[in-house]
Amino acid sequence: MTTEAARDKRRRQRRSILGKAGIYFVLSFFALLMVFPFVYMAASALKTPADTFRYPPKVLPRQAATVEVNGEERPLFLLPIDGIDTEVVLIEEGLEAGVFTDPVSPEEELAWPLSLALPTGELVTVDGESLEVYAVTVGDRSSELALKRNTVVGRFESTAGDETYAVVRTAPAAESVSAEWQNFSEVLQRPAMERALSNTILVTVLVVLGVLFTSIMGGYAFARINFPFRNAIFVTYLGSIMIPFIVVLVPLFQLMVAFDWIDHLGVLVWPFLFNAYGTFLMRQFFVGIPGELDESAVIDGATRWTILWRIYVPLSWPAIATLGTFSFLYAWNSFVWPLVAINTANTESYVLTIALRQLGGQAVESPNLIFAGIVIAVVVPISIFIAAQRYFVENVATSGIK
Amino acid sequence: MGLPQSSKEERLAVNATISSPVRARPGWLMALGLWQLLFGLGSGVAMGMVASGTGIEVIGTPRLVLLGALGLAALLALLSVFDIWRLAHRGRLIAFVLNLILAAVAGFFTLQEVNVFNGLDALGANFGRGLPFLAVMAVGWLVSGWATGVRPEWERALLLTSRGLMAVGAGALLLSVGLLPGLWTFLTRIVQPPAVIFLAVAVLAVLVLRLVKSSQATAAFGSTSKQLEVIDGIAFVSPNILGFLAFLGGPLVISLFVSLTDWDGLGEASFIGLGNYIELLTDPFFHRSLLNILFFGVVAIPLSVIPALALASALNMKLPGMRVFRALYFLPAVAGVVGVALIWKQLYNATIGYINYALLQLTEFVNLIPGLELTAPQPQWLSNPSTAMLSMVIVFVFSTIGFNTVLFLAGLQGVPPTLYEAAELDGAGVWGKFRNITIPVLAPTTVFVSITTTILALQLFSEPFILNAPQLSPNGPDNATLTPVIYLYQNAFERFNQGYASAIGWVLFLVIFAITIVYFRTQREDGVLTS
Repeated sequence: MTTEAARDKRRRQRRSILGKAGIYFVLSFFALLMVFPFVYMAASALKTPADTFRYPPKVLPRQAATVEVNGEERPLFLLPIDGIDTEVVLIEEGLEAGVFTDPVSPEEELAWPLSLALPTGELVTVDGESLEVYAVTVGDRSSELALKRNTVVGRFESTAGDETYAVVRTAPAAESVSAEWQNFSEVLQRPAMERALSNTILVTVLVVLGVLFTSIMGGYAFARINFPFRNAIFVTYLGSIMIPFIVVLVPLFQLMVAFDWIDHLGVLVWPFLFNAYGTFLMRQFFVGIPGELDESAVIDGATRWTILWRIYVPLSWPAIATLGTFSFLYAWNSFVWPLVAINTANTESYVLTIALRQLGGQAVESPNLIFAGIVIAVVVPISIFIAAQRYFVENVATSGIK
Repeated sequence: MGLPQSSKEERLAVNATISSPVRARPGWLMALGLWQLLFGLGSGVAMGMVASGTGIEVIGTPRLVLLGALGLAALLALLSVFDIWRLAHRGRLIAFVLNLILAAVAGFFTLQEVNVFNGLDALGANFGRGLPFLAVMAVGWLVSGWATGVRPEWERALLLTSRGLMAVGAGALLLSVGLLPGLWTFLTRIVQPPAVIFLAVAVLAVLVLRLVKSSQATAAFGSTSKQLEVIDGIAFVSPNILGFLAFLGGPLVISLFVSLTDWDGLGEASFIGLGNYIELLTDPFFHRSLLNILFFGVVAIPLSVIPALALASALNMKLPGMRVFRALYFLPAVAGVVGVALIWKQLYNATIGYINYALLQLTEFVNLIPGLELTAPQPQWLSNPSTAMLSMVIVFVFSTIGFNTVLFLAGLQGVPPTLYEAAELDGAGVWGKFRNITIPVLAPTTVFVSITTTILALQLFSEPFILNAPQLSPNGPDNATLTPVIYLYQNAFERFNQGYASAIGWVLFLVIFAITIVYFRTQREDGVLTS
């Protein structure tokens, strides 16, 4: 009886370990899918333009490796010495050489200096062609190879002093992983980019502050102050979340034309200081704060204004952080409205999203710059998200559904 | 707005009023009545001007709305004069609302005349210089965050440092971005008409507001605390309500009107009834866009909802490292659609892109099975009509799946763990628990997630606009990625058929609305069935 129970327990444990491994496998697979584009972005932002067009693609940025020889930067090549690919430097060029081949397997060729090949005087027929046979010394081995044609090679030397020979033009260059950090400064020097960055920060800061202010006010009113039609107004206001922004795109544009705000930075800020979602979020949080607090404060003669900012706001940091992060992401990443409201020619009022989109069309020849631009645009919201994650994920989502 | 309720003098005044045996009508009350009378007459005159078209020219629905609003204001103002004379609280309430609106409108026009709204450009031009100081402020803010939970003697020092950093940062920021010249320009402009007139009206309205809200007025009108609460409530929701009316509600009404005209956004608009909507019925491009978005929705919505549900239930197992996964899944939602789309544009590249390279590698791997000789598909993802929309689906799913996962996770965290424990005791396996507990409990969340994803999917714009937009009219190959919103954008801002574009917007709105209602219906039926 007990042994059977123990066996059952062990079986269960084994199953649960297997299950956990399976879960981690699936989660990691999805995580890889989600993260790979960002890894690719970050790595490509550090590449040279040519490196971005490499095929087969390599994730890490690579550049031709060099070595200092007699105070001079010389390119490194990657050539086989004793069957092992070794980094070598070109020492001498223009050596008379021949292209040799093994009569047994004529598809393999070797370019080697004639000074290391001794004619044997024999002839061999390869592919219907009569060729001279040479005794070719490679390293400390000598083999009999047929001379196909003449060529010119260079002498390469490794750091260990080993020598090898190859045709310079076709010798594969050695590469090392190295980053082009100046891509970032270069992309910021492009027209509109630097200004777009500071504009985006300005617009986002103002929108976040405005949304926080109006949402805290409205949330408090809807949560704690009784006034006629309060719930009807609240539901109507909340229902406005369902109106697609697209429906008001044209009339809002026309309104902004009437106000003469089009093409100015303000057009990205002033209409977006009010947010039904934010009001809703703050209301949900305020409702959970015990109401006796403000009753006693009212008796003490405090105004609602002081109650709100002295009692409610300090208790509501999780909700405020959440809403702040949300409106930050919303403002920072907003694309359609800036696209419509800011004229393409007016780079002074660009924000990052439209500057990036333009860069994506212009810098087709150097995708590394596009990626550097994306990194600049993406790194701020990602850092903010990581900082605020604690509140963000747990808080928003719950109140979003209730 | 923050209106301090009672200062010392006011309290003394209250005592004075209460102590007098008769409810006298003091001078300020007469002034208030007179102001309200002026308000009513002014609104009436403005209404007359709008009606006759002299001085103020507005057309269409906005004109009707404005006429109605002014007429209502005039009536209410006159009513409040009567109430104020009777010392009825209603007069106070009306006066408060009307003057709040007046203060907002006059304040708006003042700032508009002084060019404060567009003055943000000047701030933007210098803002780069201020960024280091903004960083100083941010550091100060972070310091205040660390201050909680450390030793008390440190807390004081940290808080002081934090406040100091923030104050110095703010001061330096304002100076470096040119606060002083800005203020000077503001002052020189605000003393010139018409700004100064608007300013005077706004200041007067604010003074009246203070008066109406004062405790002196409370005493005179004998308002109860409940009635006072109403005034407070209106004051607190007013920023939201006014903003909503100005920038969402108002435009929505205008949009409905514009959709019934042939307006090009510049010239005269003539009313053509349902003409735009009838034209949409036979517009092949609009039909194409609807078909495209239907395909997109049918493929993309399940793909971004169902795996999210599975991922969320895996993340909910409370194993170590789940927070990291959760954050990783959320990355695309945080990064923003433009950046994400541009990254994918490179990944989709048919000759050097990673996707086709991965397909090649995968095929080679599969071909290791003896007897198999598959050729790797190397599609031209974005320029081939049959894969273009599929490419959009992938990017969309990539950007939305993480957010949906977090929403599901939140729904799951509301499930009592005892439910799962009880099921385990009954011998339920992983699948059984998922099928019989997770899915029913998550029904409301699923509806919510599906609705938000659907609304997003139907408004697909940025992905095709960026991925398929080397030229100005990005319809993709053979209109394969023409979506309703792209069609709307093209009509509104490339061809300037703004009436037609508004009609497209409304059709889209109605579709979204209908789908939302259907979703809610199914949920209700499910609820009936399961309970």
